[in-house]
Formats: sequence, structure tokens, C-alpha cells
Amino acid sequence: MASSASMPTTAARQGQTERADTLALRNARLAPGETVIVRIARAGGAGGATEQQEFKVPYQKWMRVLDALNWIAENAATDLAYRWYCGSKMCGTCAVRMNGREVLACWEAVEPEMTIEPLRNLPVVRDLVVDRSPYEKKVASFEPWLRRSETYPGFPEPLSHKQMKNASKALDCISCMCCYSACPVIRLGDFTDFAGPAPLVQLGQTALDPRNDQRRVAVALAQTGIFNCVSCYKCEEVCPAGIPIVSQVIEPLKAKAAVLVPAMAHHALALRAIVAARGRVDPGALVLRVQGLGALSRLRRILRLLVRGKISPLRTLLALKTAAAAPARRILGRVPP
Amino acid sequence: MATRTITTDVAIIGGGAAGCYAALCLQREGISPLIVCKGLVGKSGASLFAGNLVISGKLLGNTDEQARDTAEFLIKYHNQFLIDQRWARRCGEWIERVYYPELEEAGLYFRRDDAGGVVTSPGRIRSVAANVQGNSGVPFMDLRRKQVIRAGIPRLEETVATALLRNSDGAVAGVFCLDVLTGEYTVVEAKAVIMATGYSDRLHKRSTGTREMSADGIAMAWRAGAALVNMEMQWWHTNDIANPPSWQRMQVYPNPMLGSEKSARMVNSNGEEFFNQQQDDPLAFGPYTVQLKALAKQVHAGKARYDGGYFAGFDHCDVEEVDRYTTYGKIYRQLGLEFPEALVETAVTSHYRQGGIDVDTTTMRSSVAGLYVAGGVGGHSNGLIALATFDGKVVSDGIVADFDALGGKPPAENEIEFERRRLDGLRASGGSGPAPVAVKEKLRDIMWDKAGVEKDANGLDRALEELSRVRSDLLPEMRLSNSGVKANYEWLDAIDVANMVDVCELIVQSSLERKESRGPFFRTDFPDTDNRDWLVANVLTKSGNGIKFDRRAYDLPFFAPDFERKANLEVPW
Repeated sequence: MASSASMPTTAARQGQTERADTLALRNARLAPGETVIVRIARAGGAGGATEQQEFKVPYQKWMRVLDALNWIAENAATDLAYRWYCGSKMCGTCAVRMNGREVLACWEAVEPEMTIEPLRNLPVVRDLVVDRSPYEKKVASFEPWLRRSETYPGFPEPLSHKQMKNASKALDCISCMCCYSACPVIRLGDFTDFAGPAPLVQLGQTALDPRNDQRRVAVALAQTGIFNCVSCYKCEEVCPAGIPIVSQVIEPLKAKAAVLVPAMAHHALALRAIVAARGRVDPGALVLRVQGLGALSRLRRILRLLVRGKISPLRTLLALKTAAAAPARRILGRVPP
Repeated sequence: MATRTITTDVAIIGGGAAGCYAALCLQREGISPLIVCKGLVGKSGASLFAGNLVISGKLLGNTDEQARDTAEFLIKYHNQFLIDQRWARRCGEWIERVYYPELEEAGLYFRRDDAGGVVTSPGRIRSVAANVQGNSGVPFMDLRRKQVIRAGIPRLEETVATALLRNSDGAVAGVFCLDVLTGEYTVVEAKAVIMATGYSDRLHKRSTGTREMSADGIAMAWRAGAALVNMEMQWWHTNDIANPPSWQRMQVYPNPMLGSEKSARMVNSNGEEFFNQQQDDPLAFGPYTVQLKALAKQVHAGKARYDGGYFAGFDHCDVEEVDRYTTYGKIYRQLGLEFPEALVETAVTSHYRQGGIDVDTTTMRSSVAGLYVAGGVGGHSNGLIALATFDGKVVSDGIVADFDALGGKPPAENEIEFERRRLDGLRASGGSGPAPVAVKEKLRDIMWDKAGVEKDANGLDRALEELSRVRSDLLPEMRLSNSGVKANYEWLDAIDVANMVDVCELIVQSSLERKESRGPFFRTDFPDTDNRDWLVANVLTKSGNGIKFDRRAYDLPFFAPDFERKANLEVPW
């Protein structure tokens, strides 16, 4: 698999390749009867404080993280609070952090030593159970249901998989919130109004569906803060459903927002225009275009940018082009904003 | 803690296909529903597991013969003739006329190819998938969840219904609930209650029932006085993953693949193939009983066990053929096995129950005033997500027709007080015995060992003795290590255990009563299928502290078996 000639094109595929390299090994690391050491962050009990408890769990063939939790709840800590329903990567309720990485407990093989913590970016109810309601409220506020712009013609309606390509990826979402926990922008709290990857995937299910009324999509997109996404691909990396969250959901949604709600995309469109005009990123021009004269009210920051050589007023004012300008224009001309 | 009271027109217990659709239909009729869900609406329960969706009638170019085959499959292979055939016909017509168009109009994506054709599985009975085969329940139930939210239907989620509350006339007039996350009690007062808790219960060591399934719906209905039917007619999955334990709900789907002529194959411990649906029995679209019979013969020959030692997979298929429209490769890949070259060890898992609460299939009324039923918890048919959905519509119509006569007195205060004390008592359990979760496992062991795939009177009698010892010795001595109210799943386990013991006993008693073998119900002491005496509903009603059994014959207007008596293992269905 590692010798495959084709280059991974998305983080998800990269992740899959990496995982595929090691999955056989991961599943064969321990033999039945050997010990798995599990440390669990327990919180919200009678005392209220978080404490870490350690358990020694006998390995069973192909043991999942959930099997280890079940063993602990049956044998060692009968009051362990953790959530799961299907055990089959369908309900998406058993996600936890294992050794610092978001995993679906029912899906991931155990590691010889594991620290299990609740998901981040959501309030903890008790032990590994998080409060899903902040996520649910965001999703509901998008009203992510199909509103047809045209009358339904009857079953089966004309529709092809090509048209549904991106939406169908989003439809694999089991709302486990691994991505929501892994997202560094959500981690910033109220500093941005970014809705987060999981709610955006939910929105993508209908917003990227060609049957949906684009006016409704615009209203929903306006509440997403989607341009706060830094495209770090953390969400894709942890998604147990293998959804290319950035490349096939967030990027297409951003493109839609740039057309439907251009004011949201001010920064992105300005950057694009600068690159097309100058063949390079010009931070000074970007500050001017995005903040205008308002930039002057943040003189200290401007000075810091100057001192560190981040902006060069001279180059900005002379609007110097590089040789890359023509090819940049050509490339950007091929891709809609 | 104070008990909150909420008043609604109709309380629906269960947030799966049946409960959600009942709620949506009632709301449309101007009747206010409220959903109480032990898990999360659209995420917990069995509906999520719908792999693909069967098409009925003349949909998508079905021929007359395919339409007829689908009906025959449903009645014969799916219910062993223990079904109201007229209900099945109404259901089939509704699926053709309403179900598919309505789902698609609401946005469900039936998988197309790039040219725009709806992808189907070929063969005598055809199916389609929502987005991907093997995962259809996920977008299906996600759509239902969003429809419920959009309609503004109130949900009490992660909230367990612990008892049906009756009024002084004996009619069901509400539900007692516990919010598992906060520990709060809620009394939901309602003019009618719909039981929609689903098909599977986790009552056997290996079970497809999800974490929260502990036969609550049947136990509550029974305590409220409802008649039950065919509780012994337990269905089994024959190729679910043997290891790890949590994957016992994951199936190597045996039915036809979308866009391919092939289906999974099963081989015994010697590597000999013993089942391949598309080759062996093309009419057995959901071939679970046929598979089970094929496996039983392997077990008898020492070439497999019910808990493993045989294998299933797609090593006769091209990888693209399987991956194009299905999720079937995910299991193998996640275990680090070569796909499709490797087979995986599989085992038997208890799955649907054909039986359940006895209902009038024209209104979905139970035998108790105020209590209605929808979906798999009913004893009128085996599972399929379309059938459960149809029940949601029928129960809504039934309640609309009865509505003016419903809504008498509120729940009796002593019933509420009794339940409050019972739950308080369970939370304070401080005996010298095991934790509730250990009692659950004990029950599952008893059922697997003595009321499993093959059973006889001797084993069933011993099961009853052991269940009775659990009741007398273990239940009063259970011990909780934590008496907190917040997310106390140990408390929930203690509540579940009481339901499980009651229903296990009913299943064993019913199994003793049916003196034949039929489909997936194997009695080694009565190995024949007996259509003369036992093509009947095995009805249970409460009689004092005991059970009274009655037999009720089925009408056979469209399909009838072609023999009176025959060894069950030789009957194809």
C-alpha cells in the first residue's frame, strides 16, 4: 500500500494510507490474555473533580476501545459513565480521545497503554459523557433540511450521482463529533463565530445538494463563520467515516458562500484578487483591502508587522508584480471563487 | 427531587422509524405528540441498522412476478406465515404509493449511478440503498431526526420510560420517565401512549440489540395488562462478526449486492461453502432463516459452532464490485485483513423477534385502553424499516379515529408514587450481591445456554428455574457503587434488569408452549413444522400471577404452506 504510485490527494486519503499501513499491525499487537493498561479521566462524580483511574484489562481478540470500556464497566468500575448505542460505527455516540486523538471507541483497536478522555470543546456531563447540545443547537439553527426550489416531480426524480458527489460524502456523517473536538478554531471558543466542522458537514448534506433552494443555503451560510476555517485538515484526519471534510465539504461551501454571501468572503476574495494582480501574497495590500482606513486605529499591530518585515508599504504602494502574476491569473481564472 | 409533569396529546416511547413517523403523522393531523427516547432520536435503536431498502409492487420497473415474489418472501421467509396477510398487502401498496416518493421528496438520496439511474440489486426481489448499501439507516434516520426537529415535536432524549401510568379506569394515561443525564423524574400525561421501542432486545449473550435495549416496551406493556403474542419467535442473524465482542451487531450482509449478481458466501471450518443466497435461494431475499438452517446442519456435522468456527466474506467478488455501492469492506479493512481475499469468522446473534405486543393491525390498538403500538415491538410482523414506518402511519390514523373518545382521567396518583419509590429504591440498592450489570450478563448467559438456537423442554425448564433464582436471590441483593443522580448508568442497569427478567421468563414460557419447530424456532423435542396445529398466534395474557395461553388461527388469503407437517430443517423457509 505504501508503494502505491498515486499521490494521496486529500488528508483523509493520506490518513487512510497511514492507517492502512499499520492496521494489520495494530490488530496484532497484543495476544489474547495480555494486559491493556487503560487510564480514564473521570469527572463530575460526587466530588466534582477530575481524577485519573488506571485499569488493567485482559486483551480479547481484535479488542476495540469500547470492549475495554465495557470490560471495565462490567468488572472494575460499574459506575463508569460512557455513551454508546450501536457498537457498529453508525450512531456516532461513543467518540472519545484516546492517547490524545479523537476516535470512535467502537471502531478503534486498543493500544497496549491508553489514556481515555472525553471529547474536547463540549461540556463534560460525567466521566466520558459530553453534552451534545451546543452542537445540536448549531445544526438546528442552520435548518439543514431540503427546501426545493422546484416542485418534486415524483419517484424517481431526475438526479445523478455526479450531481450528488459532494453531498453524498457529507451524508456519510454519523455526527460523532470527533472533528468538532479536534478543531483548533473551535478550541478558541467565542473568539470566532466559526460553526465548526461537524455542523458544516451537516449543512453540506443539503447545501451541496443540487435540489436545494440556494436562497435558503445563503441564509444558513451567513451564520457559519466558515471563513474562519484555517484548512488545517485536523477534522479530516480524525473523521472515522473518512469524509474529506475540508476538500469536499468546507471548500465547496466556502465557494458557495463567496458567490451567495460575498460579504463573508471579503478577506478570501481580496487575497485572491491580490494574488491574481501581483502574482504573490502581499500582506500590506491585504490589510488595506480588508481593514481599509480602520487599520490606522490598530497602529501598534501595524508597527509590529512592519518591524517583523511582514508588510512592506513601499512594495504595496508601487503594486509590484512578479512574473507569477500571469500564470496566477490564468490558474485562478479556471477556478470559480 | 421534584417530579416534573408535562401534558401532551400523545406520548410516543421510542425514537426510531416507527416512533418518528407516528409523531410526524400525528403532528400533521393537529394532534400534539411528544417523543420519549432512551437514547437519541434517530441514533439509538435498530432502525439505524437498515442496510438497504426493499422495493415493492411495480416500483422501478418491477415485473408482476417480482412484485409477487416480494410479497411471498415477506409472508413466508420473513414471517413463516405468522402474519396478517391483508395488513401485509396494505403495507406493500402504501410502500409503493407513498413511502418512496415521500422519502425522496423530503430529500433522502436513493443511490444513483453517474447516468442518473437508481441503482438496484438484481434478482427476484430487488432493493435500493440510501446513499450506500449497508449504511442506509444512517441517512434515513438522520432525515427523520431533522424532520422531527423541523416540526417542533418535543423530545425527551436519553430519557428512559420506566412505567406506563394508568388512570382509575385502568386506561393508560401517561408515562413515568427518568432523564438519565440529570436524574430528574418526569410524568408525561397523555390521552394515548404509543409503544414504539423496536424489534431487538439484548437478552442473549450475543445479540444485535444495542446498549439500551432491555425489552422495556414489552415489560411495561405486559405489566399494564397488554396481551402479547409469539414471544418465542426469535430470529437470529447467522453471520455477524465473532470478534471483537462489541462488533457482534455487525453483519456480513448475506443479501444481494447493489449493482451485482453476487452475494456473500459462508464457509465451514473445513473451508467448504455452505451458503450463498443468490445461488442457493434467490427468493430468500433476507435469508436469515435459510442461513440458520444451513448452519444448523454444519453444527450437527461438527463443522461449525453457533458461536463461531465458520467464516463469511466476498472472496469470490472483485473489490470494485463490492466497494462501488456498499460499505461491506469496512469490517475487513479495519481489522487489517486483505479485502476481499480474506474471510472473517462469524457467529450467531439473536436479532429481531417476530412476536411482541398483540395488536389490531387496522388501528394498532393493544388490548389495553389508551395503549397503542407501532413497529417491531408489535407482534404482528417481523422487522423491516418500511414496515415499521407503515405502522407509524396506521397508528396515527387509529388515534385520529379514536381521538374524541380518548383522554379520560389523569394517571392515578398512587401509580406515580409507586414508581417514584421503586426508582428511588433501586438507586439506593445496597445489598451484598452483584452490580446490576453482572445480573444482566447472567441473564444473557442463561438465555444463550438454555433458550438459544436449539432448545427443548428440559433446557427451557432449567432456564425457568435459573431465572427464578435470579429473581429471588440476586435482584433483592443488587448493589450500586454510586448513588448519584447524574448520568448514573448503573441505576439505569438496575431499572433494565427488572424488565429483562420479566421478558426472559415470558419468552421461555412461550417457547415451552409452542410444541413444534417453525422457521428460526428450533425445538429439538418437536423438530417438525406443524401447520395443522401450530400455524397460529401463540397469545399470552396475564392471569392472576400466571400466564394464560390461547391459540388464534391466521387467515391465509394469498399464500398458504403446501404441507401439513414436515421436518423444519427440510422446509426451505
